[in-house]
Amino acid sequence: MNGRRRKQGRPAWGLYAILLIICAGSLYAVHHNQTLYDRPIAEVLTADVTEQEETTDVHRNTDVVTSQMLTAELKNGEWKGQEIELLNDYSKSGVYDQKYAAGDEIFVTISGKRAEDGKLTGEAVDLKRDGYVVLIGWLFVFILLLIGRRKGLFALISFAVNVLLLTVALDLYVDHFPSGLLVIIGLCAVLFTAVSLLLVSGFNDKTYAAIIATLIGTTVSLAIACLVIWLMEGKGLRYEEMQFLTRPYHTVFIAGLFIGSLGAIMDVSITISSSLFALYEQNPDIADSELLASGREIGKDVMGTITSILFFAYLTGSLPMLILYLKNAAPLSFALPMNLSLEVARALTGGIGIVLTIPVALHTVMYFIRRRGAAA
Amino acid sequence: MNVIMVLAAILFVLMALVGGSKGVRSFFALFLNFGVLVFMLFFMTNPDVNPVIVTFFASILVCCIGLFFINDVNSKTVIAFVSTMIVISVLLFFIVKLSDGMMIQGFGEEETESLSGLSLYVGVDFVKVGASVVIISTIGAILDVAISITSSMQEMHRRNPRLQRDELAAAGMDVGRDILGTDTNTLFFAFFGGYLALLIWFKDLHYSVGEIINAKVFSSEVLLVFSAGIGVALVIPVASWLSAAYLVRKRAS
Repeated sequence: MNGRRRKQGRPAWGLYAILLIICAGSLYAVHHNQTLYDRPIAEVLTADVTEQEETTDVHRNTDVVTSQMLTAELKNGEWKGQEIELLNDYSKSGVYDQKYAAGDEIFVTISGKRAEDGKLTGEAVDLKRDGYVVLIGWLFVFILLLIGRRKGLFALISFAVNVLLLTVALDLYVDHFPSGLLVIIGLCAVLFTAVSLLLVSGFNDKTYAAIIATLIGTTVSLAIACLVIWLMEGKGLRYEEMQFLTRPYHTVFIAGLFIGSLGAIMDVSITISSSLFALYEQNPDIADSELLASGREIGKDVMGTITSILFFAYLTGSLPMLILYLKNAAPLSFALPMNLSLEVARALTGGIGIVLTIPVALHTVMYFIRRRGAAA
Repeated sequence: MNVIMVLAAILFVLMALVGGSKGVRSFFALFLNFGVLVFMLFFMTNPDVNPVIVTFFASILVCCIGLFFINDVNSKTVIAFVSTMIVISVLLFFIVKLSDGMMIQGFGEEETESLSGLSLYVGVDFVKVGASVVIISTIGAILDVAISITSSMQEMHRRNPRLQRDELAAAGMDVGRDILGTDTNTLFFAFFGGYLALLIWFKDLHYSVGEIINAKVFSSEVLLVFSAGIGVALVIPVASWLSAAYLVRKRAS
């Protein structure tokens, strides 16, 4: 009875109260944590424009570059409480710079020289963003809990556990097994799948079938992708955007493919598995062919939407760089492959995984259902 | 022939085999979506056009492709369309404000290498471009939740026409909650996969926690992941209540 009542999703006010207190505490803490940083932090008191200049670059793009003189109060370190004068340049487009205003807390460098009035001088480096990160994090937690209730809570737990797993895995890779990325990510994939699906739908046949289907679907789609890359000798893939890595970026790319399509494949597997099990439980005498037919229909429905989720999640991130390339007079035929080839390959591999997983999930689920039918 | 073309061909064959004519349509929808991205690109390179407005129109196009092209124009898809656009508009407003405050526009110092040789003073407002990236990245998932809710609610209403508005809406919320977990999961893993190189790079640079959290690249990724979750969650009540209101009114008339 108790479990049932919870399932109907009565909000747990106690939980919200505790979360609100932690939330308020962490927001307070993150605005008063300057002494925890080694880098000097200063709060901007005044910001005055000293110079403004219109620029035109070789490609005839016009922009406005402004210099500002900031007076700020240091918040940590040796000169805490003292005022510092900072110079900062920013452009209207803000591709690689930012405009500061009074009240912003920024990281600064302190130069040895003092201004005529004896104030410290230095340069503005970057904004202190931790307060925003914490704020959005809480917004996310509360909205997921308020709307999703128990399901939202499980989604949050699954997210937290997966982030933790990934962090540990990357630590292991970077510090201990620099040649074992794919093995580590492979093991991780199994754990990710188990954690996410068990949290979404509990310990039962439905989940087990979905886990098996996910692992088969992911492995096969990854094998296809690797085979194609190998057969075509990587033609058409431009790894330039990963070149900052001092590691074998082909391997990192493959590992990214692996993780990237995992979520979508889990989505397909659990959707098919839970709807087939629901149909079977409503009517245990339902014919196999009928179940398969409904499963195929569901598959057709989710196929398009889930591939487009992946498509947008991957490709959109390249927009800023593409705009920059085009504004630098790069032809589209150069800019697109240069900045999108890896993303398109990721989306396509994910799509292949999604579509392949539909029959795989259908047959895995049928196996579980037949086994149960035989046992009964 | 290159890797991309071969992968696309394999995807096409699989979609046609598994999905039949609907599969073929889904494949072409991907092409159309790509067209929308190119359309956005062209308008956004014009400094006189506000990227937020471009995003708004691009969202309409994406919704039309995902709802009316793949499915059909009917009350289910129209309600899904309206709910998605409501959520997108609200989200757009907040994300522009947030990315302005967070100053996550453009590129961080970790990405300097890929900027070398490029002129950076190009006149396009990158704060708004950044906000638009966040919106368009999550639109697929928002759309998915909206259409799932409206179609199962119509099915419920057909089977049991006497359900009250509140009961219908509650049922819709339940459907939405079921997809919430899996759709946020899909997005999270996609983002993790896409940013894997960056995460490894942070580890290689031996960044401290403080440096990671305050880095522009990382905090913009956080905004992306969390707004995705928020957008997917917000569309659940909107789609459920709109659908319930429509179904009840249709019955009354």
